[in-house]
Amino acid sequence: MGRTLAVTFEPVGRTIPVTPGQTFLRAAQDAGIDVMATCGGRGRCHSCRIKIVKGSVPPPTIMDTVQLGHDEVREGFRLSCQTAVSSDCAVMVMPPIAEGGHQILSCSHVFRETTSLDSGVEKRLIKAGLPTEEHHQTSDVEEILAALGNGVSGDVPLDLLRKVPALLRDDGGALTVTTFNKRIIDLESGDTTTHRYGMAFDIGTTSIVGFLLDLATGEQLAAVGSLNPQAVYGGDLMSRIAFAQFNAEALKKLQTRVLAAINGFVKEACDKAKVAPAHVYKVVIVGNTCMHHIFLGIDPTHVGLAPYAPSVRSPIVVTARELLVRVNPNAAVCFLPIVAGFVGADTMAVVLATRIYDSPHVRVAVDIGTNGEVVMGSRRKLVACSAPAGPALEGAQIKHGMRGALGAIEKVEIADDVVCGVIGGVPPIGICGSGLIDAVAKMLDAKIVGPSGLLRIEERDVLAPALRDRLVERDGERQFVLAWAAASGHGQDITISQQDIRQLQLAKGAIYSGILMLKKVMGVQDGQIKELMLAGGFGNYINIESAVRIHLLPDLPVERIRYVGNAAALGAQMALLSETERSRAIALARSIEHVSLAARPDFQDIFIEAICFPGDEAADMLLSGGA
Amino acid sequence: MGNVPTLQIPEGWQSRVPAGWDWTELWVAIEKGKHKIAHELVQKAIDAQIHPKTILDDGLFPGFNLQGDRFSEQIIFIPEMLITARAMKAGLALIRPLLAAAAEKPVGTFIIGTVLGDMHDIGQTIVTIMLENAGFRVINLGTDTHPDKFIDAAKREKADLVGFSALLSTTIYYQKVTIEEFAKAGLRSKVKILVGGAPTSQQWADEIGADGWGKDAMLAVQLAKRLVKEPREAWE
Repeated sequence: MGRTLAVTFEPVGRTIPVTPGQTFLRAAQDAGIDVMATCGGRGRCHSCRIKIVKGSVPPPTIMDTVQLGHDEVREGFRLSCQTAVSSDCAVMVMPPIAEGGHQILSCSHVFRETTSLDSGVEKRLIKAGLPTEEHHQTSDVEEILAALGNGVSGDVPLDLLRKVPALLRDDGGALTVTTFNKRIIDLESGDTTTHRYGMAFDIGTTSIVGFLLDLATGEQLAAVGSLNPQAVYGGDLMSRIAFAQFNAEALKKLQTRVLAAINGFVKEACDKAKVAPAHVYKVVIVGNTCMHHIFLGIDPTHVGLAPYAPSVRSPIVVTARELLVRVNPNAAVCFLPIVAGFVGADTMAVVLATRIYDSPHVRVAVDIGTNGEVVMGSRRKLVACSAPAGPALEGAQIKHGMRGALGAIEKVEIADDVVCGVIGGVPPIGICGSGLIDAVAKMLDAKIVGPSGLLRIEERDVLAPALRDRLVERDGERQFVLAWAAASGHGQDITISQQDIRQLQLAKGAIYSGILMLKKVMGVQDGQIKELMLAGGFGNYINIESAVRIHLLPDLPVERIRYVGNAAALGAQMALLSETERSRAIALARSIEHVSLAARPDFQDIFIEAICFPGDEAADMLLSGGA
Repeated sequence: MGNVPTLQIPEGWQSRVPAGWDWTELWVAIEKGKHKIAHELVQKAIDAQIHPKTILDDGLFPGFNLQGDRFSEQIIFIPEMLITARAMKAGLALIRPLLAAAAEKPVGTFIIGTVLGDMHDIGQTIVTIMLENAGFRVINLGTDTHPDKFIDAAKREKADLVGFSALLSTTIYYQKVTIEEFAKAGLRSKVKILVGGAPTSQQWADEIGADGWGKDAMLAVQLAKRLVKEPREAWE
């Protein structure tokens, strides 16, 4: 090996040897140091930026200047994906992946749905006899099965067989047998029948949430969650797939990361609830098609290419041992089925949780996330599509964007001047997705932004003086200052740029075109939609009026739009507690009609309508074919 | 303000039209995307015996270029660009046969398509119209285009330029593959290859050995105009 350089990454404070010429991002990733790279390390965003705090600052690349601007470049900021290590140095990673106080929704409300408690996991205390007569053709296992009765399968996992001789002879033969769907998955000495637990996980592109439940009572014992640690390899699905494309080693990396996170959650939840991981017998995992494939170690390459077909749609049940999930090794790890394309197991969970299949009227469920999904219908028919919004709605690829964490602007009021609501009530340091939606809605009302999405700098003189001063042009780009440097938490103006508004238009346009397309396929008008259910961790923080104002959501009366919480996580818990619900998901997955947006000839018109704000003339002209 | 695109009025346009003629209405019609008015005004110009090349350069392009510049500057967005492109197309439809009759040769032949695995076509639709407006003969192969289809079309049409669009991080891979296939087929030096699409960059274009990267539709057309003049191995 040739000469290496020493690079210290702050704030973790780790120094690693790096081959000269390697990028900072690659070096950090190889050493297991988390650096966000929302665009997948292609110089298309600034999430991976670092500040060189010690040592010589390498000359900026063109992409540094494009993404960071002259000021930041001068201050020593660089894109870690573009900048090669050329000397010993120390760099500050920003923003760190572990931001404090995330507002990622954990479905903490008590599980009230009238789900029957039939998890399929049963525990029985038995007292099996020992074989007594040599001429009886019997065995220890047969004695256990005889004591159990009622059709339990004799197909016993090898690790349990190895425990049988001692178990049967200790403790006077009193033992607890655990079965999942009539198959023995655990044998323990003594009475452990009250210890019967399960876990449900929703693996999202951006975040993961998990829940530990008591399978006997349905009670939620612990909720855990964090960002998806794969996010350092790309913020949206497609960059995640691109990272693993035709590259088994990269796929392994993604799989290992998510598995490590899940195992961390198992431990954390079990510690919290004082439950032994060995007493977790069933795990239900939901996630979009890409997360599903990656967790299972199935190459997702072709999911990312037209016609975006999954490798498998049917429900999968494997042992925890096979997947290396650290619960009981014979526990059943169940994946809900996939509908088609990117409409994955998470959508099935949303369908279960919202009971949209059981409605006499047309309802629509919108799961807003990095990859959004829309399901529409009633008990007669259900249609679904996936809407690739990208991470902009979560604050990524937005100039001053950040996650919904401490210091994020989440609410905006505009009258004679701007008033920002900030998470934690501290001076703001950025804007999160729900704040961006609120800000642009209010800016439309105040005529700071026109229906085409343009910041109306030419007409700023009609604005109140305080607003006029905020509408500026900087670095050749139109910007609106939400918070002045003096009022911010980091001494810099927090602005919404023209480019940010275009990003928002594309993101909300993806979701809204999904809704428009399903309305068209179902042949329904807004008036016929009885209810719109907004799901997803992020959906809870959106101001509904603002979401309607910018046409992220259709023009329904606000009382017909309702948050339903993290429905995917709720659906996963329902499938955990109830095999009836899990079977229902399996049956429903086959009956839902998948609508592929991009493949439809009318998509272009719908998309044009969807990316505009209400009242845009150009879109109206295009759609009417007029003038 | 910094970069405010303005209408570039063609120099000496008065000398190329009858006395009292005014292009303003047509410039505005193209700018505002009024395709019916654009159609009428171009017909009026033809009836007034104005040379088709003059109608194109002096009548249609100023409004179109203005919008193209605004698009590059993010002042307008996809819908506005599409209606302008549509108005331009309406006017062009009337003069194209006349241009052909006047022996106006196309600037070059351009094969365009979205790469294998990718179904997006709004971007390449805009580029196609803009290339046609700029005088190229454009063969649009549509979406999800196999490398062989690009190669067959390039051979058949004796293409000067080939452009691949890709809108997904997962499909830009096929820009690379398609360029490799052109090299394997021994055609790499006969055509200039351009790439574009949201996940692409100049760096990506260089990495995969493309001849150029179009950041947006307007810049792609400028690039095409430049590349078509560069030397290439001739088709038999």
